[in-house]
Amino acid sequence: MIRLIQAELLKIRSTRMWLGMLGLSVGFALMGLVFYIALAGVEMDGREALPPVTDPDTVRAFYANASGGVLFMMILGIVGITGEYRHGTITQAFLVTPRRGRVLAAKLVSYFLFGLAFGLVTVLATVAVALPALAIRGGSTSLLDNDVPMILGGTVLAMGLYALVGLGLGALIRNQIAAILVAIGWVQLVEAIVTVALPQVGQWLPAGAVRAITRTTGGFGGMGELDTLPPWGGTLVLVGYGLVFAVIAMVTAVRRDIG
Amino acid sequence: MLGDCRDWHDVSVIEVQELTKTFGTVRAVDGVSFTARPGEVTGFLGPNGAGKTTTLRMMLGLVAPTSGRALINGRRYVDLERPVVEVGAALEATGFNPGRSARDHLRVACTAAGLPTRRADEALETTGLKEAADRRVLGFSLGMRQRLALAEAILGEPRVLILDEPANGLDPAGIRWLRDFLRHLADIGCTVLVSSHVLAEVEQVADHVVIVARGRVLRDAPLAELVRGGELKVGTRQPEQLRRALEEAGATVRFEDDRLWVSGVDAEQVGRAALDAGAVLTELVEERSGLEHVFLELTRAEMGEAG
Repeated sequence: MIRLIQAELLKIRSTRMWLGMLGLSVGFALMGLVFYIALAGVEMDGREALPPVTDPDTVRAFYANASGGVLFMMILGIVGITGEYRHGTITQAFLVTPRRGRVLAAKLVSYFLFGLAFGLVTVLATVAVALPALAIRGGSTSLLDNDVPMILGGTVLAMGLYALVGLGLGALIRNQIAAILVAIGWVQLVEAIVTVALPQVGQWLPAGAVRAITRTTGGFGGMGELDTLPPWGGTLVLVGYGLVFAVIAMVTAVRRDIG
Repeated sequence: MLGDCRDWHDVSVIEVQELTKTFGTVRAVDGVSFTARPGEVTGFLGPNGAGKTTTLRMMLGLVAPTSGRALINGRRYVDLERPVVEVGAALEATGFNPGRSARDHLRVACTAAGLPTRRADEALETTGLKEAADRRVLGFSLGMRQRLALAEAILGEPRVLILDEPANGLDPAGIRWLRDFLRHLADIGCTVLVSSHVLAEVEQVADHVVIVARGRVLRDAPLAELVRGGELKVGTRQPEQLRRALEEAGATVRFEDDRLWVSGVDAEQVGRAALDAGAVLTELVEERSGLEHVFLELTRAEMGEAG
């Protein structure tokens, strides 16, 4: 098992795909953060665009930007499995380890860890920008208050779990482009619409779970506008999605012919 | 391994038993059975679409058979303890991530299989890819990809090799090298199964030939047996006299294109018959394309029967 995880590490290290996904994840987080920094407490049309940095909600929103790129962890997972089908390297993997369940188990563990690691880097980058910005603007610089540990820790966990969801989705669909389009369509359209139109349903979706963990509404309004699960509930929901898609990945990849 | 005292020529290392694969209503592979023995190169021949690749993939546990089974060293591939050390497989030249270097591609397999990573460099050297080891596969020619696939197959120094169209895309020098390489492996006691749709590639290296078409085995015989029964083309000034003499010697003779086409006797017997009959020979050629002849006859008959 350790050998197979080492092989996955070598696979991901030996092409440049991971750099792109990490760049996008960090880039999205910082882009959102810069937006918040620019607008927090600034008056527009006679009222504040966003609450000032002294408001705990704003502090939370600053750090919650770290989770802005969870989609890219999903894509990381998707590419992690569909790339093998696309290039035919899945044949090598299953020839070396004909017990396919082991290959998939190693992949799931590895991509969960990759997601966590990328999440950690994204969180560190976010903190590195948010902290000085808060200090300059007179906000709280404590990393222990305002649910900050929960938000940052939850983001790291969410990144890992989203990679698992991506693996499951990729194993199910197998076509890389189709799987990525489904992921983007889901996150950008389906979840976005359901979250606004049917928040009582939206809170049970992965995005709702991330919102619960990062203590944000996901929109620009304040807390409490949308139905949102408690943080532990969001964590459980997200873990549930990760496990369900892990099982999907296992079952689909283990049974199908590789032709 | 070969350490025990059994005569390894008698052991069937690869045993395919009634393998069948149905895709929807199509029987891509229809009750295929054959064996491959150590010390021999077994050619697995058939036109494109004959079911060769599906058969090989079933043997390697990549495609689940509808029925039947394939054993390697007495076990199904998926039940082998360390498959890469027992069986080397090269399936097609597309199984590479274009962004990964040749060395990394092999190191992934080494790592997963628990082989020392120096095996990657050794295999690259054996297959003549040492110079290209650190280049991305993206820039590889088809021939180089074939060599890399072969390098992957020999990583674990297996005694059984299963190669799907390994000569595809190789230049003449590459094909020559491949032939020598396969011959060498068979000579040291390995079991080599090579599929091909190009007869010329296999004819010169195979000891045993299995011919398939439309998912069924048409012939399964030593190469020598298949090639025998080819014809001799004989030109002569006295066709009638020679014909009579040859038929007395037990030959079957037909007359076509001003030549006698003779089967059932060898060149020496033709010479003797000519001497006895006082016939002047102007030409005596052994038809080389014996296997091709057999192959075309067999596959044509099969296609006609099915159509």
